Amino acid sequence: MSNGDVAGGSAQDRDREQLLAETFVVLADTLVDDYDVVDLLHQLVDACVNLLGVTAAGLLLDDQRGNLAVVASSNEETRLLEVLQLQSDAGPCLDCVRSGVAVSVDDLEADQNRWPVFAEAAMSAGFRSVAAVPLRLRSETIGALNMFHAAPHPVPLNDRRLAQALADVATIGILQRRSSHRSALMAEQLQHALNSRVVIEQAKGVLAERNGVDMDAAFTALRRYARNHNRKLSELAMEVVRGEIDPTSVQSGRRVT
Amino acid sequence: MDDSAAEHDSVPRRICLLCVRMLSISGAGISMVTKTGNRGVVCATDDVSARIEDLQFTLGEGPCVDAAQFGAPVMVPDLRTPDDIVIERWPAFIEGAGAVGVRAVFAFPLRIGAINVGVLDVYRSDPGPLRDGQLRAALLAADAAALALLHTDTASDDLFSDDIGARVAYQLQVHQATGIVQVQLGVPTEEAFLTLRARAFALGRPLVDVATDVVARRLRFSVEDE
Repeated sequence: MSNGDVAGGSAQDRDREQLLAETFVVLADTLVDDYDVVDLLHQLVDACVNLLGVTAAGLLLDDQRGNLAVVASSNEETRLLEVLQLQSDAGPCLDCVRSGVAVSVDDLEADQNRWPVFAEAAMSAGFRSVAAVPLRLRSETIGALNMFHAAPHPVPLNDRRLAQALADVATIGILQRRSSHRSALMAEQLQHALNSRVVIEQAKGVLAERNGVDMDAAFTALRRYARNHNRKLSELAMEVVRGEIDPTSVQSGRRVT
Repeated sequence: MDDSAAEHDSVPRRICLLCVRMLSISGAGISMVTKTGNRGVVCATDDVSARIEDLQFTLGEGPCVDAAQFGAPVMVPDLRTPDDIVIERWPAFIEGAGAVGVRAVFAFPLRIGAINVGVLDVYRSDPGPLRDGQLRAALLAADAAALALLHTDTASDDLFSDDIGARVAYQLQVHQATGIVQVQLGVPTEEAFLTLRARAFALGRPLVDVATDVVARRLRFSVEDE
């Protein structure tokens, strides 16, 4: 579906309701288990793209050092990562994290002055509209879910609510991760999620180089292997980086012990 | 300022002293994980800090041990009212640290993804959490300490001090490129990361730009070049 504001009662609507129900069942299932937080956040940005029909989505967290760090994105294109990362300086995500409220621009071309550097980068990456919803727990904002559309696109109210619901699941997922040592503090959980993402990036580099594939294919293989062999994504990634598991078997999906 | 004295201190020690000054804490210490998996105390600002490090090595338990293992900070604002699981996990450490007057302890892993360098431990003789600005300073100090320890083998540890704030630390391309270079050179992750930084420094280019070239396959590293 190309955008969210279709007329009620259509087959498309029913498909979407079905997809929505399935998505939240999967997420709820994940949250009661001992899950991998980065994997969960990727499920969320994928769900965001599928349910809201946006072109791309990313999730940024406050790294507690004064920057926003990307922890999940719907694709691994450098252009998207750069547009996401730029927002440590200025952009809708930074405004969203600082204010704790959703920020959106229906048409970046008509509204370039707000964040000139971000707007230019986003447009040259093929995006015309952007929205960010906060990851909030009580008074604290820990990050933002960022959505991009290739066309000028006012976000319908229902889609905004749905995006906020996905962001809320992300917040719970990050802060309620069942800690193996103690009921950890917010900062501990946030830093854990951030470092997990770094391990996964390093593993993607190893897989991409060893197997001659791009970052997207490397990540897809990593996730698929983790799922098929019931492994946590970041633990598997750690083994890849440390050379404790054969990168070619991860790419091919074969289990090698 | 005691700048002349400070110059004789190692970078990790200077980072610890800075922590004491900026975080309203009583002392700080850094322990290191070597390539062979052994661990050792790098520095401690005072006897109590040294005791905290020693205790954890001897006992094999404590915040520093957990921080290294889980890859996330472990923060205990008050050792006398910790949650139950901490008492369960570190009974001997809590007793030993309490005996030398430690009330609050915060351990920060020195890590860059899979690269595990060591742990920064800070303690206070009064209870209470790190406030927002202090947490930020502690995390930045841990980033700096990780780099300082990684560079202890190189001639000058100030050589690369300019290009890597926390800003660079979370540029994803840098970590992807690290994994790529690790395979290209057949070296451990930490060496790949250092080689990448050395190349960026030699080229006079930002690390993230060089990393982006590596990811885009415009730049390759080969064993002969290094």
